[in-house]
Amino acid sequence: MAVGDDRVTFWFGCNMLRHAEMIRLSIMLLERVGYDASAVGGPAYCCGTAHDHEPRAASNMAARTVDRFNERATRDGRNKVITWCPSCHMHMSDIMAPGNATHFDIAHLSEILSDRGAQLTSAMSVPVKRRVLLHRHVGFATHVAINSRVVDVLSRISGLELIEGPAHPGHMCSSVAVVPGALAATARGTWSAAAENRCDTVCTIFHSCHRELAALDGKENIRIRNWVHLVAEAMGIEASDAYRDWRTGEAPDIAAIERAEERRYRQLVEPELRRPSPLR
Amino acid sequence: MSKLQPARSDTSEAFLAQAGLELAALCTACGACFDACPMVDHIGLRDFDSRAATVGLRQLAKGETGSLEAVAWVGACAKSGLCVSACPERSSGLDAMLLVRIAKQHALNDTHQLSVKHDPTYFPRIKTFARLQLTDEELAKWL
Repeated sequence: MAVGDDRVTFWFGCNMLRHAEMIRLSIMLLERVGYDASAVGGPAYCCGTAHDHEPRAASNMAARTVDRFNERATRDGRNKVITWCPSCHMHMSDIMAPGNATHFDIAHLSEILSDRGAQLTSAMSVPVKRRVLLHRHVGFATHVAINSRVVDVLSRISGLELIEGPAHPGHMCSSVAVVPGALAATARGTWSAAAENRCDTVCTIFHSCHRELAALDGKENIRIRNWVHLVAEAMGIEASDAYRDWRTGEAPDIAAIERAEERRYRQLVEPELRRPSPLR
Repeated sequence: MSKLQPARSDTSEAFLAQAGLELAALCTACGACFDACPMVDHIGLRDFDSRAATVGLRQLAKGETGSLEAVAWVGACAKSGLCVSACPERSSGLDAMLLVRIAKQHALNDTHQLSVKHDPTYFPRIKTFARLQLTDEELAKWL
């Protein structure tokens, strides 16, 4: 392996900023299997995929983000971009790269973790006694065999019983939410499959599914976890989930709210945290 | 690890303009992508003529007005990707999911058959979530 092959940029996208622990855990998991990960994301690294209605602005965002990754590749030797978000990954492959010269390769986090399966397995020494239903979508398989990659990772965890849930349309829950009724059907399908299979945990793969299903945490005694939470548990790393806790009734502490500016919190964040679950 | 494809245009916007015409030219409007799409069930179009739907898809991808059914279909695209393997022209280079994406963009921006659902609070909300949770060091290093 050439020098610098283990230096990567972890591109977590925009909406993962709701789930700071999942970003931190992903960085820790990369480090545990031997990568030197530098994380970036948020609006300054926007891919532009959510801006189909503003083609010039989306194109400019794509160019800026590719430029920044090119600079990291040439300046820091970080010539691999590790993605989290399937929308960002597909947008980079299908639209950003064909319109901008790139000096880096991409892979999804699940791919590079499962590719280092031996290191991953030896790092996951703590049994995780859960019966888990994996919440799945059919999409993104055009680019990454995401469902089988996550199954490969979770199957290495001692004590964990894994059941693959129904494969829903779309690539993650936010994509089906644009059609009335589709998100509710998706959530209902997953939760009923979990109950029928006597699972105690539903495991999400992507942030948007986690965001939607978090409100159901505890329903029928089924807990919600993301796959990186489960890997972290198996590594003995604390894996808290503030977004899930806020979505089910807790509130951020007052110091955090003040830091975020209370007016902005009340206007922008609280309505999202208090909206009905997808089953209501 | 995936190698990214080489640049074919100077910008993403230029690439999409070029790709829409190229992909539309490869499309035979056979209807296979429509038949494979799971979102068709959610928008009540399962009994609609799939060939007619894909004629509309091809028109939209070229920037022309498409049928109402074709517009509803591209507007409901959830990136399931089942159209990609269903397309008999895939080996010729037809990426059906990209064709649908480009058709949707034209329906939004050129034929105006889809209404724009712009959320001006999108980035401010994300930034507020970030400030709620990230340390000063994380804010400085990651964003």
